[in-house]
Amino acid sequence: MKLFARQVCALVKLSFIELWRRNDVFALVLLGLALMVPLSLATPFGAEGASRYLDEMALLLVWGFSLFIALGAGQRLFPPEFESRTIYPLLAKPISRGRLLVGKYIGAVAASWSALAFFYVLFVASVLMRGGTFAAELPQAIVLHFAFVALAVAVSLLGSLLVSASANLTLSALVLVGMFFFGRRLPEYADGLSPALSWVVKTVYAIAPHAEFFDMRQRLVHGWGAVNYGVFMTVLIYALWYVFVVILLADVVLNRKRV
Amino acid sequence: MSECSDIVYLERVARVFAGAKAVDDLSLKLNAGEVMGFLGTNGAGKTTTIKMMLGLLAPTSGTVKVLGGDPSDPRIRAHIGYMPEVATYYPYLNARELLAFYGGICGLDAKTVRSRTDSLLESVGLADAAKRPLKTYSKGMLQRAGIAQALLNDPDLLVLDEPFTGLDPLARIHFRELLRNLKERGKTIFFSSHELGETELLCDRVAIMKKGHCVYQGPVRDIAGDGATNLERLFLKTLGEAI
Repeated sequence: MKLFARQVCALVKLSFIELWRRNDVFALVLLGLALMVPLSLATPFGAEGASRYLDEMALLLVWGFSLFIALGAGQRLFPPEFESRTIYPLLAKPISRGRLLVGKYIGAVAASWSALAFFYVLFVASVLMRGGTFAAELPQAIVLHFAFVALAVAVSLLGSLLVSASANLTLSALVLVGMFFFGRRLPEYADGLSPALSWVVKTVYAIAPHAEFFDMRQRLVHGWGAVNYGVFMTVLIYALWYVFVVILLADVVLNRKRV
Repeated sequence: MSECSDIVYLERVARVFAGAKAVDDLSLKLNAGEVMGFLGTNGAGKTTTIKMMLGLLAPTSGTVKVLGGDPSDPRIRAHIGYMPEVATYYPYLNARELLAFYGGICGLDAKTVRSRTDSLLESVGLADAAKRPLKTYSKGMLQRAGIAQALLNDPDLLVLDEPFTGLDPLARIHFRELLRNLKERGKTIFFSSHELGETELLCDRVAIMKKGHCVYQGPVRDIAGDGATNLERLFLKTLGEAI
């Protein structure tokens, strides 16, 4: 257990250094600052609608940036190790492939969460500077967003072991963004199709990661209040279950992969 | 062939890739404290053999035992140090961070990693460049970082894949001295190489591979007795090439 803890710590530290020393993430942070600061300084003259619109814009940016970082973090866990051949000295050390996978995944999630926390600090600061307030839904919204990031990293990690980087990033982004915006309408859409097509759409609905479950932006912006804690916990359990299955599949793929 | 005292024990090992035999009927053993050179042309099966010794590849048939156990067991690998032929490592880390990372993977505590890092960076000549990112390192410097990470866990068996690649003459001399010191400390060393001169200077025994088969195994001191004046002649004679 001590060995595993040390291995995970080393992998988490590596992920943090890798994420924060990359130019694209640094650029994203600067971009976040460049966009959020003007939003915080905007003066909507007390117009509630305009203020909400600014909040919605800021939250959409936070979601977009976090998805970009999560997919990149998942994608970069293994392919660069194979390309630069660092996988050999790594696997020659006393670590199994399964432990390496779990350790790397935890590292990528922790690093992505650190970036997300930074963006939320900016968002909260921008709202507070405009004189806005937050209710009970803020902690729930943040926790669900963090859970979504963990799920996105897992999806990208599995994809990175199956297809090329560009294909993985495109497919993962398409699935997650597609579900984020259209997921809740899929069952309704399936009902209007022929039985065969309806079955296909319903199967996609059952298998695809439900990004829309984690989206509390509207509640946050309009102050609709926290969701029922039963629902909140169910979504968290769904995220845990989905991540578990995806990581298990990734473990099977990695163990079958020839080095 | 006894396997009890052997650090490396390979018995009739074969590895097949898509119907092609990369290694066939390979038997060799390495005793504690020995230095063995593993020679052969490109594609002879050297790297495949090394991967099987490290548990990265399973043999299609035969027995592979390292330090008395199965090298796919992480507990066995805790006593092996490995340096790959070419690795660029993590370009955004510096040498100190690289060793701290591998130390963590080996399960070493921070204090041990720090003390070993200092002495290793000194011994491989990277102490002055320890805080520079690896992306600014030359090929030779990366090789030296590679040997440092291989030695970090104070291994009983050191496996080196083409360790002299990219080293300038001075670095080669330092590297040779480093390996000699390790040998004097009782470490067992197995390395593949195309550098016959270095191999002859360092090794107790050599094995020569040709198309997946081991075509020669013997002590370096016996080379003259084989009718060849040096390792290069033996190598060419064994592979059936005229000078």
